[in-house]
Amino acid sequence: MSDLPAYDPERLFPFAVPRDVPAAPQPAPAAPAAAAATHRFLHPQGGMVPGERVLITGIAGSLGRLLTHRLRGRYGVLGVDRNGWPGHPADVQLHLIDLRKRRFEDIIRTERPDTIVHYAFVRHFRGDPEIRHEVNVLGTRRLLEYAAEYGVKRIVVLSSGYVYGALPDNPTFLDEEASLNVSRTYPAIRDLAEVDHLVLTFLWKHPEIATTLLRPVSMLGPNSHTAISRFLRARLVPMIVGFDPMMQFIHEEDVADAVVLAMEKGTRGVFNVVGPGAVPLSVAIRECGGTAVPLLEPVARVLFAQLFQLGLYHTPADAIDFLKYSCTLDGRRFVATTGFTPRHSLRSVFASIRRR
Amino acid sequence: MTVGLFDAFGALSRLGARAFPGSLGTLRREIRARLQRIPTRLNEYGYDEFGMHPQTLEDVLLLAAVLYRYWFRVETHGIERVPQGRVLLIANHAGQIALDALMIGTAMILEAEPPRVIRGMGEYWLPTVPWVNLFMTRTGSVVGTPKNCTDLLEMGEAVIAFPEGVRGMNKLVWERYQLKEFGHGFMRLALATRTPIVPIAVVGSEEQAPGIANLEALGRLFGMPAFPVTLTWPWLGPLGLVPLPVKYRIYFGEPMHFEGNPNDEDEAIAEQVDRVKEEIAGMLATGLATRPSIFW
Repeated sequence: MSDLPAYDPERLFPFAVPRDVPAAPQPAPAAPAAAAATHRFLHPQGGMVPGERVLITGIAGSLGRLLTHRLRGRYGVLGVDRNGWPGHPADVQLHLIDLRKRRFEDIIRTERPDTIVHYAFVRHFRGDPEIRHEVNVLGTRRLLEYAAEYGVKRIVVLSSGYVYGALPDNPTFLDEEASLNVSRTYPAIRDLAEVDHLVLTFLWKHPEIATTLLRPVSMLGPNSHTAISRFLRARLVPMIVGFDPMMQFIHEEDVADAVVLAMEKGTRGVFNVVGPGAVPLSVAIRECGGTAVPLLEPVARVLFAQLFQLGLYHTPADAIDFLKYSCTLDGRRFVATTGFTPRHSLRSVFASIRRR
Repeated sequence: MTVGLFDAFGALSRLGARAFPGSLGTLRREIRARLQRIPTRLNEYGYDEFGMHPQTLEDVLLLAAVLYRYWFRVETHGIERVPQGRVLLIANHAGQIALDALMIGTAMILEAEPPRVIRGMGEYWLPTVPWVNLFMTRTGSVVGTPKNCTDLLEMGEAVIAFPEGVRGMNKLVWERYQLKEFGHGFMRLALATRTPIVPIAVVGSEEQAPGIANLEALGRLFGMPAFPVTLTWPWLGPLGLVPLPVKYRIYFGEPMHFEGNPNDEDEAIAEQVDRVKEEIAGMLATGLATRPSIFW
């Protein structure tokens, strides 16, 4: 990833630039000076200091692994996960447990991490919805309780940009103050909104802890198995006739960078994390090597519901709103606070999951 | 999806350009040359962050320019008064279909120096209408939320709003040129972002599709805020959507600068809104008094 040029979303493309030719990479912009106004979103205790310890939940997942490789060496890294990570780096302590287990508390009590990165969420719908809810919501609640009890200094929780929901009257740039409407339109992932709310409450209740809630846009990458990447990796991808919403994407490595940046700057607050930009869904499908299949909405609703119930399709019918309306975010707060710049262009994001 | 309607539309306009190489070809080249002078932040796939796609805009503008030059024979007055940088264009709204917005937008591309893309503030129900939502976003408009308006203005764009909303768009023929109640949102946004307002009077649009009734209940059934009945719609089917070939005259007023608290009481805001409304009403009266006929 280091050989990639920095991607500057603010660069100006004059319309006269031939549209099929990628623009020449621009020199990296100077890091914006931390303005006084952004201090509202930085915790006075500061960022991580080398040698501190960080606990990653969901460490065996793609993002957990990326994070581990970025952090080990400078910091002590330990992790918990339900799944194993064969061949994990020797200097990384791995605990094979579930956040719902009693032993999770023991780990925090005895290991005393300085920072926790929380990304142990069930994001698919294959299993029991009750277990999904328990892991996501109760797991987060416990994690926050233990963190407050055992003197954790920093918490970074990876929520999702989907919590705002896809609504027809969404502005193009939803900022962090926009209400979380996903439960209204897409109840199957309302637990994500619940997690988000839990962390928000915690944020205001515990000013002594630098709690950061990141809401990244749709994440894609060679290792990520997110709902959107499953959707776009398919050969035939459904669309709704007459709709083609703008969607923002970000590379998994850029999300990992954003997490590290948040920890090292010592951010506090809620941040949307936006990647290199937005394209219509149809362009994303084409660029990922799939074929768009336009369906009439009523047909799509019945089809999704039936196939989902039979376990033949991974996406429930409620997700159809995301195929009609945009849920695109305003990422300026995070950029202004941390100087974050995604390194992967849109082209590179799509290429990362493109079918061979 | 863009494929389908827009491809058909683009193919049609290209076919037209091939069939009439002289006139349409020249027109297309003119539009492209003017669009290329507009600095626009596009990503590597040719879209701006709001979903505008200049390639689609070019196709739409070709048809719009034909309407502009040969159907409505639009005449503009004072277009040079529109200042550079962020500006709110406020106009009267009528004609059942938002062709007034399209004509003002086309004027700003074809006649303004330098040319500019006008960003429209769409009704909240438009994003729910198949294809219409695509037409709206690909040509540079957005759903008219305060956040969208503020973001566009802060980026230095020219935003157009019709404070009469559907009330104006679907007014009946005997109510023509009587301005309906203005919403206050535009004034609060202008105050908050310190944006100059250019009042615009469109003469002609209010007779293009004379409404004789508005069946709101039927409209609600289809999820629309109105269901207009005109002399030709719905009697003639899709043909009934064709507007009368009225003569359009667009009057641009002097930029108006307002100061005050954007969160002030409604009464205080209403006073400032009324000044804009009076300005438009004045220009409408002049335009109506001086025009020789509805059609030329």
